[in-house]
Amino acid sequence: MRAYPLTWRLLDVLEAGVAKVFPRRLAGATPYLMLAPAVLLVGLLVLGLFQIADGSLRTLDTTTFLMSESYSLDNFRRALTEPLFRNVALKSFTGSLIVTAITLMLALPYAYVMVRTKSAALRKILLIALFLPFFIGQVVRAYGWLIILGNQGLVNETLSFLGIGPFRLIYNYPAVLFGLIQYMLPFAVLMLAPALTAIPEETEAAAESLGANWIQTFIHVVLPMARPGFVGAGLVVMTLSLTDFAIPAILGGGSQDFIANAIYDQFFRTSDQGLGATLALLLVAAGSTLVALVFALVGTGTLGMGRAKQ
Amino acid sequence: MTTARGKTIFLWTLVIISIVTLSAPTLVVLGASFTAGNMITFPPQGLSLKWYASIAQATDLREAFLRSLYVSVVCTLIAIPVGTLAGIALAKYAVRFEKALQIYLLLPFTIPLIGSGIGLMLIFGNAGVLGQLWPVGIACCVINLPFMVWAVTASASSLDPDLELAAANCGAPPLQTFLMVTLPAVTPGVITGSLLMFILALNEFLVSLLLVDARIVTLPVQIYNSIRSIITPDLAAISVVFIGCAALAIMILDRLVGLDVFLKSK
Repeated sequence: MRAYPLTWRLLDVLEAGVAKVFPRRLAGATPYLMLAPAVLLVGLLVLGLFQIADGSLRTLDTTTFLMSESYSLDNFRRALTEPLFRNVALKSFTGSLIVTAITLMLALPYAYVMVRTKSAALRKILLIALFLPFFIGQVVRAYGWLIILGNQGLVNETLSFLGIGPFRLIYNYPAVLFGLIQYMLPFAVLMLAPALTAIPEETEAAAESLGANWIQTFIHVVLPMARPGFVGAGLVVMTLSLTDFAIPAILGGGSQDFIANAIYDQFFRTSDQGLGATLALLLVAAGSTLVALVFALVGTGTLGMGRAKQ
Repeated sequence: MTTARGKTIFLWTLVIISIVTLSAPTLVVLGASFTAGNMITFPPQGLSLKWYASIAQATDLREAFLRSLYVSVVCTLIAIPVGTLAGIALAKYAVRFEKALQIYLLLPFTIPLIGSGIGLMLIFGNAGVLGQLWPVGIACCVINLPFMVWAVTASASSLDPDLELAAANCGAPPLQTFLMVTLPAVTPGVITGSLLMFILALNEFLVSLLLVDARIVTLPVQIYNSIRSIITPDLAAISVVFIGCAALAIMILDRLVGLDVFLKSK
């Protein structure tokens, strides 16, 4: 008799165990059981939102520095009427719009060249140039920009060698936007690239053989066909830059606060948890409205993660 | 402008701007870490490794780095089973409320990080676990979970369902089919996903900042706190540790699954 391998025995035991705990007739529940851990984990965020909502209804008692027991909408009134918050919100929204526009403009050619190039080596270089900053993290990147753009930084020293400057290149609004564009570029390219891969090269060739020049081909063929990628990329860039903390904090030097910085300050500087929670809740609401609107209008684009369409 | 030459010039001008913008901070940090001076100046005052020697001596930086590693390990160990199961389920089964589930599982991306971070801070605070490191790992796992699910669904969708039926037809019971056919097929996705999870947790800043206190700062928070006070070359040297980790992750990713996987259309 041939020996029955140990691994087979082990598998048989496991199989019997599974069959006992989870009989065949429950097989329909399998996908739900497989999804349950992820649903629970994400549930932590939902629970967190409830906590924030609860906090937003409690006001800070300035005499005892405790949160009130009773609920009121006072925080919302303050968040919506005080000019400080309106300015911060306006600054963040305008900023994220500018960042999204410029990032997409830079990401499209990058993704296009990366997808279309015949050279495997060039494609790899472009991919590495993309992943390296993506994997390094915001703090280190912002630190790099401080070295480059600082008052005694690379750019100003070079300019002074030429007899110009120095210029104040950091701690202002353009510096924050610039940092955000650099931070967002890898996200945008990675969301756009699959959509561009999906466009057959022959389609472009066909347009060109019909007499369209490359600009017309781009506008009438590539852009419309890459729409799912633009949805994904635009949405990710817009929401991430709208809600970023590190870049405005480091490159803005405290003078260029975005919404996230204002929320952080409410929690850790002014210690008004209620107002901080209110601002956070309003930001979540604004972000979700934006996402829901885009999803409803144009679908999830390249953001979807379900079954491949058959 | 409308000629093929014009197209090349136009595209490449923008691509080169992008490459320079993307790479400049990394290169400058690398360069600054080798300076011999006590300040970061241009042109640099000679080359030396003294800042690497100094960070090797600094226990606070070493401990912060180890804490970041610990957070990454916790995050990845949770993300692998959770994300793999969810990814396979979404890719292969027709589940009820599929749309709603998808949108729900995308919540970590659609809820702003500051909102997620503060929510988790309040929950962990109520549970009395704030001030420990493992909740930071869990938090990093939650906020980046869609990356893991994405990576797994991408490879699970390319697995032909007939293969699993064939295995079953040859007498393999369900668990065996899962372990011997389904799991090996999604392994590239699991590798991609777990590398992303690990490296993003290693770099995670805002959620760390909200969840740690002064005793247990992670490395990105430590660097952030130091930037605010003074910019010295030892920060550049410690930043190079991140650059090294990123380069290593890219190499592993390229070797095991190939970077091109991110260009595939769905």
